[in-house]
Amino acid sequence: MGFFDTHLLNLVIFLPLVFAALVLLLPGSEPGQLRTVTLLGMLVDLVFGVWAYARYVPGGPEFQLEYRVPWFTEFGLSYHLGMDGLAASLLLLTVFLGPLVVMASTTYITHRVKEFHLALLVLQTTMLGALVSLDVLLFYIFFEAMLIPMYLLVGVWGSEDRQMAAVKFFLYTLVGSLLMLVAIVALYFLSGPSGGRSFDYASIYNALLGANQELARCTAAGTCDQLGGLARTLHTWGPVMFAAFALAFAIKVPMWPVHTWLPDAHVQAPVAGSMILAGVMLKMGTFGFWRFAIPLFPVATQQARPVLAALSVVGIVYGALMCLAQRDIKKLIAYSSVSHLGYCMLGMLALTAEGATGSAYQMLNHGVSTGALFLLFGFLYERRHTRLMADYGGIAKVMPVFTASFVIITFSSVAVPGTNGFVGEFLVLLGTFKSNLSLVFGVLAATGVILGAAYMLWMVQKVFFGSLTHRENQFLQDLNLREFSTVAPFLALVLVMGLQPQPFLDRLAPSTDRFIARASVGTPGATVDESKLPIEVQPLPTEQTAAAPTLPSHPLAAAPALVPSTNRP
Amino acid sequence: MDFQSLLKTAPIHPDVLQQSLWMIIALPLLGAFVCGVFGRMMGRANVHLVACSAVAGSFILSVLAFWATSHADAGVPTSVANAFGGAPSRYALWQDLGTWFSAGDFRVNFGLLVDHLSGTLLLVITGVGFLIHLYSTSYMEHDDGYWRYFAYLNLFVAMMLTLVMGDNLVLLFVGWEGVGMASYLLIGFWYTDAAKAWAGRKAFITNRIGDFGFLIASFLVVLLVGAFVKQANDADLQPVASTSARYSAGLEQRGPLTFQGLETMARALPDASGAVKLDTPISSGPLEGRTYGGVLTVALLLFLLGAAGKSAQLPLYVWLPDAMAGPTPVSALIHAATMVTAGVYLFCRMSFLLVMSPTAMATVAIIGAATSLLAALIAFAQDDIKKVLAYSTVSQLGIMFMGVGMGIFWAATLHLVTHAFFKACLFLGAGSVMHGNGDETDIKKLGGLRKEMPWTWVTFLIATLAITGIVPLSGFFSKDAIYHGVHHNHLHGLEWVSGFLYYVGLVIAACTAFYMSRLYLLTFEGQRSPKAKVAHAHESAWPMTLPLVILAVLSVAASVYAFPLLANSKQALMENFLSPVFSAAVGSRGDAGIAKAAGTVALDTSLPSLGSYAMAWATVVAGGLLAAFLYMRFFPAQAGVPAPGFARLIRRTAQNKFYVDELYEFLIIRPVKFLSFVLFRVVDAFLIDTVVVRGTAWVTARVGSALRYVQTGDTQAYAAVMALALLGGVLYAILKVL
Amino acid sequence: MVPISYYLFLAAALFCMGMFGVLVRRNALVVFMCVELMLNAANLTFLAFARMRGDSIGHVSAVFVIAVAAAEAAVGLAIVIAVFRSRGSVNIEDIKTMKH
Repeated sequence: MGFFDTHLLNLVIFLPLVFAALVLLLPGSEPGQLRTVTLLGMLVDLVFGVWAYARYVPGGPEFQLEYRVPWFTEFGLSYHLGMDGLAASLLLLTVFLGPLVVMASTTYITHRVKEFHLALLVLQTTMLGALVSLDVLLFYIFFEAMLIPMYLLVGVWGSEDRQMAAVKFFLYTLVGSLLMLVAIVALYFLSGPSGGRSFDYASIYNALLGANQELARCTAAGTCDQLGGLARTLHTWGPVMFAAFALAFAIKVPMWPVHTWLPDAHVQAPVAGSMILAGVMLKMGTFGFWRFAIPLFPVATQQARPVLAALSVVGIVYGALMCLAQRDIKKLIAYSSVSHLGYCMLGMLALTAEGATGSAYQMLNHGVSTGALFLLFGFLYERRHTRLMADYGGIAKVMPVFTASFVIITFSSVAVPGTNGFVGEFLVLLGTFKSNLSLVFGVLAATGVILGAAYMLWMVQKVFFGSLTHRENQFLQDLNLREFSTVAPFLALVLVMGLQPQPFLDRLAPSTDRFIARASVGTPGATVDESKLPIEVQPLPTEQTAAAPTLPSHPLAAAPALVPSTNRP
Repeated sequence: MDFQSLLKTAPIHPDVLQQSLWMIIALPLLGAFVCGVFGRMMGRANVHLVACSAVAGSFILSVLAFWATSHADAGVPTSVANAFGGAPSRYALWQDLGTWFSAGDFRVNFGLLVDHLSGTLLLVITGVGFLIHLYSTSYMEHDDGYWRYFAYLNLFVAMMLTLVMGDNLVLLFVGWEGVGMASYLLIGFWYTDAAKAWAGRKAFITNRIGDFGFLIASFLVVLLVGAFVKQANDADLQPVASTSARYSAGLEQRGPLTFQGLETMARALPDASGAVKLDTPISSGPLEGRTYGGVLTVALLLFLLGAAGKSAQLPLYVWLPDAMAGPTPVSALIHAATMVTAGVYLFCRMSFLLVMSPTAMATVAIIGAATSLLAALIAFAQDDIKKVLAYSTVSQLGIMFMGVGMGIFWAATLHLVTHAFFKACLFLGAGSVMHGNGDETDIKKLGGLRKEMPWTWVTFLIATLAITGIVPLSGFFSKDAIYHGVHHNHLHGLEWVSGFLYYVGLVIAACTAFYMSRLYLLTFEGQRSPKAKVAHAHESAWPMTLPLVILAVLSVAASVYAFPLLANSKQALMENFLSPVFSAAVGSRGDAGIAKAAGTVALDTSLPSLGSYAMAWATVVAGGLLAAFLYMRFFPAQAGVPAPGFARLIRRTAQNKFYVDELYEFLIIRPVKFLSFVLFRVVDAFLIDTVVVRGTAWVTARVGSALRYVQTGDTQAYAAVMALALLGGVLYAILKVL
Repeated sequence: MVPISYYLFLAAALFCMGMFGVLVRRNALVVFMCVELMLNAANLTFLAFARMRGDSIGHVSAVFVIAVAAAEAAVGLAIVIAVFRSRGSVNIEDIKTMKH
């Protein structure tokens, strides 16, 4: 690994921040310059993001492009980055959305342009950081930092009720994540004896692994009263800590019944906010389940699985039913997200390779298709400033290109084969049927196939078909070149991901296998591939401490020079 | 070189053609892309050229592929190796374009298969498809959306070809949903009319209900295959000359949903040797404890739901009549000749699974018969020329389902083909009538067109005779082959079904004759109605009449396939021709077939006797004559006399389609809408958002404002509180220590 | 040598006097002086224990406290003067604007 490889992830994460500094230096009265610089930053970031994605080798070590330097060594904190297949895929999605978001907001945002672009760039950094951090506390920092720019996006550039929505969004998500912070600190104390504690994901996981296995064995045998040590602690407190993690991520996903922040936030957010929220931020919830909540607490997962799976199914059906009751288009799309994310959660909880792969793929799909739906509707909203279906009708006549794009994305959203949605949904449902969850889950989830078509096509018909019912709509402009070139990448991706999903799936496969193995630790009777369980990461660089092993570490001692180690195990 | 050996020498060698099967699909797909993206700039003539030549090219390739399937090198027919062990599929071409997607044990390949069954359908789809493209160039000459129209139409053809050529259930499903999508777009083609857009949506969603069944059925099949491969030993797979290792290797290579793999499993299931039989309980997995046969029946019934959606059978037939909102050539191609027969094709393709479950077979047959009868009765009272034809399509599809359900697959396929010819001819004829009469569709306002539109008249007459089943025409033979099979095949444990359905079938035949005669007579015979939109109808241009003539000729000529013309066999031509496909299910020379091995269906291979021919013929003629009497003599004579009350009631009920739509509206749509509204208002907006979320905020705010009063602003009071707290802490510490 | 408890009793007495003053006196300046008294009581405790243990940590702490006290006095007196300028009084009963 060369210098470039070692620092590639750093580059991807912090490039937006560098460009944010540049934007900060520019005069606020020059929106054109601000946009160009931001767009440029996003594009450069896209290049490096794609590069990082391409550098990911499916058969290689679990975490690749790793970078680790000591940070607060005394607290077991290190600055540790690395990406597995899922993180790489979501990273790709994030950098893909970046430039498109900027392009989508060109005419949408007219006041406080500088601050807007600053927020976008900072948001990009925090999202990318959360995806690739391998230190739990570092993840938490990025995870929380994400809220601030998003809060501003909704609260400053949103529509009429923006303050309420922003506060609701902020507090709702904060409640869960603060509990998670408690659980993270608890994990820190469980991760080793005093002095050997660490916030590092791999250390924590490896430390808990033995106890988890022991706990799983005793749960199967019903002899958990005689447990001792870490296993006993996990037996008592594991479910609580799992609940704290699960709540934080469930709110983010959002799962039923903690989903009510989503419609409000989506409805009020500007087009950029909606796109990022739907495209990337919701995946932080599913990603969190995948990376932290489930592998760290497999036994608790096993206990909570029926409940969580039931909530996911409720989310699928309930979200779809909600869509049928909406008059507001953005709200409808928001509720459809609840339904789609239900599929992601269900596939993950099925604990089968098909289900997990489908779930991961569905995360990407949802980012593409729902992101595109919000983008397209944003264009419409810019022209008419109303979100009600009743204010449209028959606009296919005046906006044919727009309609065609919207209908294609709609087909992707309702999972017509040949579009990306189908592959994800099919795999999720197949995985659910193959899992040891009751068949009822699969059957109920499959009704989403019907309801999904019902609400999406209903909306399409109300908005686009029929005769032109409003005089104001008579002279709507079709998409211009800038707008169409924003939509075109989405259209292309819908087809590419639908017809050639295998390259994407290949990169997800190692992560899925490991996820399944780790999650199955808690499943009684499951055969677990032991070799997939331990997490191997770069050790903390030890040159400094090796040079002076006798010196006691001291709070005021100079921080060791940041020299990355290259001795990968 | 005699004719026989000419047929067996393909002009292009199968090995060569095998590599280009994808082009059959790719051509119309490319056409759709070009027409859809550049159509508006290219102009009308270029769009016509691109669209028609795409389908024509596809047709030529299909002919070559079809021809190549019969290619025999030194008497050995071309065949496809069986990846799952077992006998190779004879008379088939196959192309594998690599993995589509795979995850865990699951895998789907882009595998294209052309055998005699899919080859036949390829010809129908591209052939009839081309004629309809040609027809459309004239029919749509005044429409501004022509480029969109041809793009959709090409897309439809591509999807339908995918459906037919896919060598696995998932690829079939791609086509299955793809044609649904194209049909949605085409039904709602004139989207500015809200009712038409609504009809498109209704079609798509009704189909989705079927697809829901289809998906679940596919998953059950995956589970079944998974259980089978775990449980079966070599003795199970011995009769198909495979081993369990070979079978697993095949699964790994091709995935669990290929037809070849399913056929191998189906052949291995019913025999007595080995560990797995139809009544063996599944040993592990989510279906643990249930028998193979039971799961299979459930899966097949769910496939039936899927097929009922696509092929407009009970309870999901309601979309088809509304689908007539689309342009008439679309109705001819999609809603008569090709897409709606997909359900029949599905069951023919999976005949080997179907014959293992008499329950599923009987259900398929009964659903078919019931749909057929209901649709025929509704067709009595419809006045819209396209609606009558739509209901007659539903009815004919029901007959095909009867055939499939009773295990007479070849006849169902034959009827599918002949129906494609005469029904497309009828629809195109109806289109021609509409085109020449100012888009008038009410048959009461037509009449007397015989002299004004001679070509349309003569082709319509031939097609009508064919569909009613008059002797020398194809409809008679294909329908009678089905009826004969229905009558003489016996399902194990459900023997009553055969006789019962046979008589139901005769009633249907009479009804068909009645309403078709009515349609024909009112449209073409008698006097021109005084309410007609235009005084004189004009005959359509050659691009419209030529397809009519070709289809009319075909609907006469296709009867050849029902004749036992072979020298060394008394099988009908079609039966012999399709036997490589259906031999797994129903057996053929030197192959017992699953039906016999499982003892589920007692098949009868006799030819229909002249007596039963005569009976069928007499029924039809009686129906036709009754219609002629009523509409030519009785009703005209009764003009002005009000009909009796009960007659009006019956008529009104039939006219309103027995209120099935209203029933669904009342039982399903409204409750779902109401439920979603109530859930939204009560659960989402009130319980969760207001009570819980805002409630939390409210409680926090209230507690805060209550605690506000502690803040007195008096520094010394704060200091006193601090001091007291300190004192309390110290006291507590002292007490703890003591 | 004087036993350590003597120092502690003295410190406790000083602390209580200081606290009493803080709680009951009205004049802000007097309150300030009482706070200083309490701080010095704490200092006395530190020093007593430092002497007992024979190390310098207590001395360091005491010096630290003195520094903090000086800073506090500077800021506090500045506030008092500012309040006197705006209100013409240093009676803390008059300074109650920071209430609900």
